[in-house]
Amino acid sequence: MSDTTTTTSTPGAVQTTGHAWDGDLQEFNNPLPRWWLWSFYATVVFAVFYWFAYPAWPFGKTWTKGFTTATYTEGGQSHTMRWNTRSALLEDLDSGSDAKRQRQYLDKIAQTDYAAIAKDPQMVAFVNQAGKRLFETNCSACHGRGGQGVVGLFPNLVDDDWLWGGSYQAIETTLKHGRNGYMPAFGSVLNATQIDDVANYVLSLSGVVPSSEASARGQKIFTGATGGCYMCHGDDGKGIKSMGAANLTDKIWTIANVPAAQSPADKLAAVRAVIGNGVQNVRKMPAWGERLSAAEIKLMAVYVHQLGGGQ
Amino acid sequence: MAHSAAAPAEQYNYDIVRKFTIMAMVWGVLGMSAGLYAASELAWPFLNFDIPQITFGRLRPVHTTLVIFGFGGCALFATSYYVVQRTCQARLPSNVLADFTFYGWNVGVLLGVLSYMAGFSQGKEYAEFEWPLDLAIVAVWVVYFYNFVSVIVRRSQPHIYVANWFYLAFILATAILHIFNNISVPVSLTKSYSMYAGVQDAMTQWWYGHNAVGFFLTAAFLGMMYYFVPKQAGRPVYSYRLSIIHFWALIFLYMWVGAHHLHWTALPDWVSTLSATFSVLLLLPSWGGMINGIMTLSGAWDKLRSDPIMLFLITSMSFYGMSTFEGPLMSLKSVNALSHYTDWTIGHVHSGALGWVALVSFGSFYHLFPRLYDTRIHSTKLIYVHFWLATVGIVLYITSMWVAGIGQGLMLRGFDDYGNLAYSFIETVEFLHKPYVWRAIGGAFFVAGILLMAYNLVMTALDARRERSKLEAKLAAKLART
Repeated sequence: MSDTTTTTSTPGAVQTTGHAWDGDLQEFNNPLPRWWLWSFYATVVFAVFYWFAYPAWPFGKTWTKGFTTATYTEGGQSHTMRWNTRSALLEDLDSGSDAKRQRQYLDKIAQTDYAAIAKDPQMVAFVNQAGKRLFETNCSACHGRGGQGVVGLFPNLVDDDWLWGGSYQAIETTLKHGRNGYMPAFGSVLNATQIDDVANYVLSLSGVVPSSEASARGQKIFTGATGGCYMCHGDDGKGIKSMGAANLTDKIWTIANVPAAQSPADKLAAVRAVIGNGVQNVRKMPAWGERLSAAEIKLMAVYVHQLGGGQ
Repeated sequence: MAHSAAAPAEQYNYDIVRKFTIMAMVWGVLGMSAGLYAASELAWPFLNFDIPQITFGRLRPVHTTLVIFGFGGCALFATSYYVVQRTCQARLPSNVLADFTFYGWNVGVLLGVLSYMAGFSQGKEYAEFEWPLDLAIVAVWVVYFYNFVSVIVRRSQPHIYVANWFYLAFILATAILHIFNNISVPVSLTKSYSMYAGVQDAMTQWWYGHNAVGFFLTAAFLGMMYYFVPKQAGRPVYSYRLSIIHFWALIFLYMWVGAHHLHWTALPDWVSTLSATFSVLLLLPSWGGMINGIMTLSGAWDKLRSDPIMLFLITSMSFYGMSTFEGPLMSLKSVNALSHYTDWTIGHVHSGALGWVALVSFGSFYHLFPRLYDTRIHSTKLIYVHFWLATVGIVLYITSMWVAGIGQGLMLRGFDDYGNLAYSFIETVEFLHKPYVWRAIGGAFFVAGILLMAYNLVMTALDARRERSKLEAKLAAKLART
């Protein structure tokens, strides 16, 4: 190889290493750029400082803990620990400015009764903000972001119809313990004509179809021992809240999508299907008592109460 | 010069380089198109069409596998075989063994993506291949290692050129990473369970995952850079000393940093700290490669005005520098708390993958392809157009992902006046729609660029054939006259 010369003829120019590959591939022997070298040293200093400040090097069965600490109170006692992910979280939940502010409001909610909360504009404003977030995180997957629900599956929370009761207390119970909605299937109990009659009666209750001979026959089945519908929906068909049985005399439909059905025949078919199949394994609201704190449940009860017409 | 640059095709195995280059382009077009479609699915979810095989969850590993192992892998096979032969002045030991790596690798990639679409996956990022394919890859890789090393052993040059250090480090490290991360217990031909459990499994996965970036997508492409940048510039590499220091620093430091993908998880805190600090230490060694590449052009900056290939190569170095600055930043726990699980990570990966890996490969291919066919590139103007399409695409991509990632990160930690979280998760998802649309547009620019490149390369090969037949006709006519 004859490439020990520099490629430029400038005197004092940097030499190449004297090797050449593939014809013309060479390397200058420039020194490391000073700024590069000093910057590298700076990152080393940073790393070493970091190792002293935080948990870093393992040795044996333990590791260097670092000199940074985190402080938090638990059970009225102040604890100071070496910094770690756990203690950092506890410190943040304990003394973070946002956590403190939210705790103030939540404490106030816990100590105030429902009627007083509803009258205090400042607390209502808090409930609206906090409730919206909690609702979107915990409830909207089923009930929709606006609480509009899905007919046939998840109840609408923005109307003034409450299957399990719309008082603060009833809503709180629903949130805490969850609900299981259930209606037996009558397909094997009643024959097709009977189901048709009952469907006519149910629709006549809210005036969707006029009263007729069929609805009169249906009424007998509804209020008599043959169907026994009254046991849950009541003699007047207005439903019984303690059983989660729907009011059939209003125009709100939660399972059979009567308003969406175009012709009277379709409306009948929709109701017939519910009577025949019952409502099973769809109305299952989980219990939130374990997932949300008592104060959060309370504020959610207020929030849901004012979504629709609370009672 | 003692060694002539003009080497007859018989001296080296160019056939294998040609084949791998073509397949790199094929996988590149398919993989980047798959990426564009996946990005569009995120912006407009109806594009999933409820067809399981093309839903985002299955298309994403198809995209990553095609671009990393299909495009990137074939580009590395092609250039490493080209570079090692030329800089060692020795031919690959066996055409059959070279072809074995070609067919093995490409069939592996093909079966891999088909199996993902059919729903078979180990569920490990960048290591989704089920165990039979993992074993096949090991076989191919061992032969690749043998091919490469036996050229170095039979070199007729006393010294090993710097590009080959990087290629060799990549081949060795990839073997170790691939084998240890994929150790699993098969329960059937298409299903296996990782040998590691819980946080150990996660750590092994990200030790693999980050070093796939470090060795497969960085060290190996630095090898490519160390050959094609000085070759295209016609100038010596800036600093031999820097190349040694940054090589060893890179090789040593990369192995420590994988756990920074697992900050704020069940990972022990001390592992988090070490991975963060080693990531910071990695910044300057990474920049060493960028400096060596860019400074190689010092004294010949005018080439940027006249040579679009140089534009590709130098821009790739700049993106390399930018993403290796961004990486250590994001590996700090406090920054990571904001950036992790957001699209900032996706943007970061693509500034490296599109800006660095793809651009340096494009530049190298534009240099390499005409030489493989012994002709000139079909259209230099189209290289310029490709360069601008690609660059605009990358800028749109990474800026939209900055907006998406930093925006979502800030929303998720936003509080209202009462100390409540200011946004619910679904609101942050709604916010992502517009950046996702811009990202898809950026991706479309990039795909348009590689399509243009594919056209340019096909035309170059056709030009070469036409020239050759013209020459042969002339020769035949001459012979007929005598």
